[in-house]
Amino acid sequence: MKLDYLLYAFENVKHKKMRSMLTVLSILIGIMAIFALVSFGQGLSSYINDLSTQMGTDKIMIYAKGVGAPGTDDTFKILKSEIDFVGKVRGISEITGMYASVVEVEFNKQKKYAYSVGLSQGKEKAMIEEMINIKVDEGRDLKEGDKMKVVLGDNYRIPEKIFKKPVKVGDIIKVNGVDVQVVGFYEPIGNPQDDAQVYFTIEGMETLLPAKKDRYDYAIARVNPDMNPQEVAKRAAEKLRKYKGQKEGQEDFYIQTFEQMIETFTTIFNVLNGVLVLIALISLIVAAVNIANTMYTAVLERTREIGIMKAVGAKNFDIAMMFLFEAGLLGAVGGALGIFMGYLIARLGGFIAANAGYSLLYPIFPAWLIIGCLLFSFFVGALSGLFPAIQASKLKPVDALRYE
Amino acid sequence: MLIDYLKLAVNNLLKRRMRSWLTLIGIFIGIAAVVSLIGLGEGLRIAISSQFNMLGTDTITIQASGVQYGPPGTGVVTPLKQDYVDKIANVDGVDFAIGRLLKTSKVEFNDRATFTVAGSMPSGQHRGDIEERINLKADQGRLLRDGDKYKVLMGSKYDEDDKVFGKLVKVGDTVLIQGKAFEVVGIAKNLGNFLMDYAVIVNEDDMRDIFNDKDTTSIIMVMVKKGADMNNVKEDIEKLLRKERDVKEGEEDFTVELSINAIKTLESTLFAVQLFVYIIAGISIVVGGIGIMNTMYTAVVERTKEIGILKSIGARNEDIFLLFFIESGLLGFSGGLAGAIIGVILAKTLAFIGAMQLGTDLIHADIAWWLITGALSFSFLIGCVAGITPAWRASRLHPVDALRYAK
Repeated sequence: MKLDYLLYAFENVKHKKMRSMLTVLSILIGIMAIFALVSFGQGLSSYINDLSTQMGTDKIMIYAKGVGAPGTDDTFKILKSEIDFVGKVRGISEITGMYASVVEVEFNKQKKYAYSVGLSQGKEKAMIEEMINIKVDEGRDLKEGDKMKVVLGDNYRIPEKIFKKPVKVGDIIKVNGVDVQVVGFYEPIGNPQDDAQVYFTIEGMETLLPAKKDRYDYAIARVNPDMNPQEVAKRAAEKLRKYKGQKEGQEDFYIQTFEQMIETFTTIFNVLNGVLVLIALISLIVAAVNIANTMYTAVLERTREIGIMKAVGAKNFDIAMMFLFEAGLLGAVGGALGIFMGYLIARLGGFIAANAGYSLLYPIFPAWLIIGCLLFSFFVGALSGLFPAIQASKLKPVDALRYE
Repeated sequence: MLIDYLKLAVNNLLKRRMRSWLTLIGIFIGIAAVVSLIGLGEGLRIAISSQFNMLGTDTITIQASGVQYGPPGTGVVTPLKQDYVDKIANVDGVDFAIGRLLKTSKVEFNDRATFTVAGSMPSGQHRGDIEERINLKADQGRLLRDGDKYKVLMGSKYDEDDKVFGKLVKVGDTVLIQGKAFEVVGIAKNLGNFLMDYAVIVNEDDMRDIFNDKDTTSIIMVMVKKGADMNNVKEDIEKLLRKERDVKEGEEDFTVELSINAIKTLESTLFAVQLFVYIIAGISIVVGGIGIMNTMYTAVVERTKEIGILKSIGARNEDIFLLFFIESGLLGFSGGLAGAIIGVILAKTLAFIGAMQLGTDLIHADIAWWLITGALSFSFLIGCVAGITPAWRASRLHPVDALRYAK
């Protein structure tokens, strides 16, 4: 029985080729845009999820408040004594301070400005590695005692990206006018800012910028596995506030778990992506109106046919189902083609983003997205066919037969 | 003649009322969405550029190079020195130059703290110049004066937004900036600038005192004399600073930028973002256009007999073409008209709600005349384009075949 409806719908869609094609095209365009947008959104959230699982949920970050990124603003710092203090808070198993600063990098007579960090290579190294989550790809990693040695982000190896000539392992570059040796390169992270970073050891940064010594820009701590990181972060914040003699609401620092930090970012991104999807949805509404229009016309054109069917015993329900299926079919075909086009566009977009240095922007195509888009387009189609179908089903057989 | 075509078109559209309505709704939704989005987007763009534009287009700003993630002066390697300011003032074509120190600072009031930008105000005759330039006026109390010691002018938001400190700041109150007590002598008028409206402004000497910074400056603003060549002045300043900072040409660790170029860069970035949103919204207009095309094809099929009769009594191909073409354009235009009206209302309402909810001046709708005329002509154009092939098909029908055509 269902199959009959479907066959009938197919015949009619084929019969009015031009009109069906245009209707399918209109739903195709909307689904294409939504599919491409959502696939990028999913790609980024999967990237962030991977990141947070790899980084581990047992880490908390301590930042000095300020208006810019850590290390670019000199008003507030985290002192060594404060880090030692937080390290003694119950639930915190290890802690290390980190330096950050903007530096001038000179190579082959070209000067550039880059964000640079100073990271401990001692016993806390494992924790830091979990956080930065990238591996040395060429040369070697920094080790304790390295002073005027640096590991660079991936972009320094690529000609014309930062410097005209690619930097090689063993090369000497000038950082803030001081000669340092490049010992290695990190693998690409996927955005131009991070891939241009310069990594020092803690000792190296202190030698380069003596004023920084024991005045850290941020700190990372690990929470005991049997403790709740959020509670530990809260307790640490309270203790540090008292230690610094600050009242509640007057803290000049933040303590957050890694998850909380990422959550903020994810929320902002989801809102932005959601707005774009909503805007793309408008086109789907228009497409639904088009389907409704096509179906009204179809009902009108087939009035006699409906009359004959009713005369030979078709019930109201049968007629309504026939038109509903036809409308749903229009939607589903448009949806299927839209998914295909959306896939191509998302692939192309991902390719362009990767070439522009943003390889962290890539689309993924989970099964639920494909099935969801198909079902959604079918239902949009069927829903827009609802009123025309009801109108068709209510036609009086006699009137319908007499219709010209 | 044209009137006849129009009359025919209107009559035909009225005959198929339901179909005409649905087609209109299709184009109308798209136009309304695009008009309201562009209205809001333009409002946002104007608000953002005006934040950067407040110094006017005849200024040059100088900053030290670095990676800037925050306000001017953050993330620099070698800061600018205050003593450059006087030297720059002597460059040919420079009217006057002002150095401003901007720092993140802790501001406390009512036992609560906030972290915001503190900006310095130069003493002497240039105080008035800069106040005039950035349109700084006191809403309550007064502006800072020479000789004010530990007095502060608070940004307008401290009198509007009680979330910052739990209560509003009034003239005469005492706030702590970096732990030092400052007396509030005035509240600035709202400048519509996010950074400035939350900033606190103190005299330069106080600023140097509390931050223990004797000789650096975050940003140097240079006003150029009327009639002077901006680019020449820029080059002279660059030459001077290269000598001061002992760097070679091409290796400058500072940037000298014409404000007009900075605004252009900003606007082009904003434009790219806006364009992306508009394209996604524009998709719905295209879909609406497809709806028109569909309706017109149906109309041609339905009126095949009519076309045959018209042709047999002497209508030429052009006449038939025009008949359908005008009908299609009319569909587009009336959909666009309704869409533009609803779009404007929608934009204004959304802007109103948004501004109320978020309490920012960044959100307001700017409906330019080009937006309305553009939307109308675009919807008319879409209607016409969508009508071309159906009208062409109708015009090419053979009278005999058309007459014989049975539904």
